[in-house]
Amino acid sequence: MSALALPLGITRRSPTFAVGATIVLLMLLAALTANFIAPFSPTLAFPYEVLKPPGGKFLFGTDGNGMDVLSRVIHGTRYGFGIAVPAGIIMVLIGVPLGLIAGYQGGVIDEVLLRVLDVLRAFPSIILALAVVAATGASLVNVVLVIGLLDSPIFARVVRAEVLALRHSTFVRAAVAVGNPPWRVMLVHILPNAILGATAQLPIRMAWAVRISATLAFIGVGIQAPAPEWGAMIRQGAEYVISGEWWVATFPGLALIGLVLGFNLLGDGLTDILDPRRKGTGK
Amino acid sequence: MMLEVKGLAKRFGNINAVNGVDFHVAAGEAVGLVGESGSGKSTIGMLVTRLIAPTAGTIRFDGRDITALREADLRPLRAKLQIVFQDPWGALNPRMTIARALEEPLKLHTDLESSARAARLRDLAQRVHLPLASLERFPHELSGGQLQRVCIARALATQPKLIVLDEPTSSLDLSVRAGILQLLAEIRRESGVAIVFISHDLDTVELITDRVLVLYLGNVVEQGATKSIFARPAHPYTQTLLSANLPPDPDAVLKRHRVIGDTPSPIDLPPGCAFASRCPVAIPACRQARPPATALGDAHSAACIRIAEGANLLPT
Amino acid sequence: MSLLEVDELRVHFASRGMDNRLRVAHALNGVSLRVEEGEIVGLVGETGAGKSLTALALLGLLQPPAVVSAGRIRFEGRDLDPLKSDVRGTRLTLIPQSPHTSLDPLMRIGDQLVRMQREHADVPKKRAWQRARDMLAEVRIPAPDERLRAWPHELSGGLAQRVLVAMALVNRPRLVIADEPTTGLDVTVQAEVLDTLRELVRAHGMSAIIITHDLGIVAHYCDRLAVMFAGTIVEQGPTRKVFHEQRHPYTRALVASTPKRIAERGFGPVGGTPPDLYALPDGCLYRDRCVRAAAICVQPPPNVPFPGNHSALCHFAAEA
Repeated sequence: MSALALPLGITRRSPTFAVGATIVLLMLLAALTANFIAPFSPTLAFPYEVLKPPGGKFLFGTDGNGMDVLSRVIHGTRYGFGIAVPAGIIMVLIGVPLGLIAGYQGGVIDEVLLRVLDVLRAFPSIILALAVVAATGASLVNVVLVIGLLDSPIFARVVRAEVLALRHSTFVRAAVAVGNPPWRVMLVHILPNAILGATAQLPIRMAWAVRISATLAFIGVGIQAPAPEWGAMIRQGAEYVISGEWWVATFPGLALIGLVLGFNLLGDGLTDILDPRRKGTGK
Repeated sequence: MMLEVKGLAKRFGNINAVNGVDFHVAAGEAVGLVGESGSGKSTIGMLVTRLIAPTAGTIRFDGRDITALREADLRPLRAKLQIVFQDPWGALNPRMTIARALEEPLKLHTDLESSARAARLRDLAQRVHLPLASLERFPHELSGGQLQRVCIARALATQPKLIVLDEPTSSLDLSVRAGILQLLAEIRRESGVAIVFISHDLDTVELITDRVLVLYLGNVVEQGATKSIFARPAHPYTQTLLSANLPPDPDAVLKRHRVIGDTPSPIDLPPGCAFASRCPVAIPACRQARPPATALGDAHSAACIRIAEGANLLPT
Repeated sequence: MSLLEVDELRVHFASRGMDNRLRVAHALNGVSLRVEEGEIVGLVGETGAGKSLTALALLGLLQPPAVVSAGRIRFEGRDLDPLKSDVRGTRLTLIPQSPHTSLDPLMRIGDQLVRMQREHADVPKKRAWQRARDMLAEVRIPAPDERLRAWPHELSGGLAQRVLVAMALVNRPRLVIADEPTTGLDVTVQAEVLDTLRELVRAHGMSAIIITHDLGIVAHYCDRLAVMFAGTIVEQGPTRKVFHEQRHPYTRALVASTPKRIAERGFGPVGGTPPDLYALPDGCLYRDRCVRAAAICVQPPPNVPFPGNHSALCHFAAEA
């Protein structure tokens, strides 16, 4: 089997996944090698080359402080992943046990989870995030924590749905019949099977994390300039759009769209790959 | 008695799935539960293994009352009371190898060390005629027949005294069924385990069981030795059921007893005999009270008030 | 000229797995079948033998990735295209399994019967309604006038199956295919539905193909029987003859594995695993499971004819 066979096979199964994975991987690469591939330091200001249009030394132009937009966009990937990944980890660590117990045992935990979800559905989460970050301060850690915590119940809901579907399946019944105590039924039998469906949701939640942090920064509550966070960059660039210096906001905007889209496609594609694989070809 | 069930009942909402069932299984015996859809036979299987709790009645397993036992107390007993389900593809965790699935009961109920467990696994695989290579496979790699053998092996792992088999061959192809039935016969010979065999396939039940219970809408309408019931069915429902069976022999002469209409909905059944609405020989008295079991000698009984008038009601 | 002639039909499915390798499932491997006027033919076989696929081919319902690589179908003297049919619903109809998934849950029974007629011919509404009502009576559904207005979910399994029979017969087809028509039905109801089907088929001079895995149904409702294995018909002939003579080892294995036979003669050799359509053996497709297999079986077996329109696909068919 040639090295190309697997990627080709995956692409055929789900072009969506292939595109999403490519985007995310490229951006991840950029994040990891930012120091090497960015032409300048993201916070290096060229005071005599403020608001230069794209071209020549500055492929994406410079912003209001004379900093190279390209370098800032490249380094912005670090913020993107730096928020999405830890937030993702938090959401898994909290959401999975929560969803598992709520789905399998129901009871108080389930009720609490459902009510929390109701609250989240009623409030635009951006307002909640806004409130908390404004109150506690706009550090990277805070933003990650807030996003992770806000996302956990939603991820828990996905896990809970998978668990509910599995709870009545024959092999779970069989597991009880064989003499498994509830904790083993949940950990050994339900979890490994539930996690598959939930996994496809993870990249989508991560896309949301990136979007929310950018939004917070844009509003002025999240990460602030001169940190090369795309939301903050767009905030600064918004002022210049009217006066015609479109590049300050557009490039970070495109990068943001790109990463969010990449994660979303990855998640969608995962669903494609994980589900139809179980169906065979015609009889 | 390995299993004693008295007055067993289960209600789901306003459906009486099981409506006062009495029966017993002696050590080493094979008892069949026969009936069509809505008869309650599968529900009885779930009740007897306490996978669901009864609404009324008592269940005694190996001398112990397990009707209201707490899960924690029930668990150690599960080593001796096992169940095999109808759907072999769904009965195994798709992410566990066969070896892990078979090892689980050993881990839960015995103190065997890892190497002793591994030896037992090989033993079990051989006993159910499964190639040792299957142990490392995942369920989706095996055929239906092989999977059902795995499920039987899993049930045998802790040397149970009673196994409930809920339609164990119904999902399998014809040529595979015989193999499973043969395996069950072998296992009974070797280990003397008692079985409760739930099925709608009359021919299979006739082959496998010593005694049979015929169920209709949650009630036992007839029970007795398999040979008696199949040779001289007494209850009108049993007679109808047996006559509708199609033997795979073009020369067999069929004498069909017609029922009237389809099986009624189990919701809010009227009082009296559950079969009265379709019975070709029902009389008004049938609709008044649930008929008691009439003894017909030799542990054979049928719940029909018209039997006292003569053994064979339907024209032959 | 027979009503239906299927000659050496071959169908395969090609797909690519995650490793991008081409995998081909050979689902039908030379199916040859004849159905005469007024005959009821039983098509028996295990899951994956190709019975339902054959029905789909006859109905012109095969779709990519299915590829018809050989063979032809002639119905009423004209060629039938397995991928597209213009006689489906009128002269060649289907009684599917599982009435509650085959009936439209959002349309009343009467409307569905009317639609069945009007989609294929210019039948005035009034006449279609009358025919629908008559059809319900013919399939012995009590209170047909009321039942016309019933919704599918209000019917029991047995009644719903009868409605499917009515839908298949309302346009007076020449050939009806019943695909496992009694799966999921209780034994007592099954017999009634099959009786009704047979009665109507005979009364209107139709022919029928009953697809089933139940040898009991075949023994009592079919004039002729065709046994399928791995996409081929390994034996076919008059029902009695096939049951008595059992010329093909697979037929023998099937009959021997019924509980009734086991009760008489004990357990025979155990059946094997289903054939892997992606990796079929050369020569006789049954040889990996056959108790009679010998060296010659790597050659494709001959279709050995026997008197009375009976044949078996086996090198050793003529042995006693």
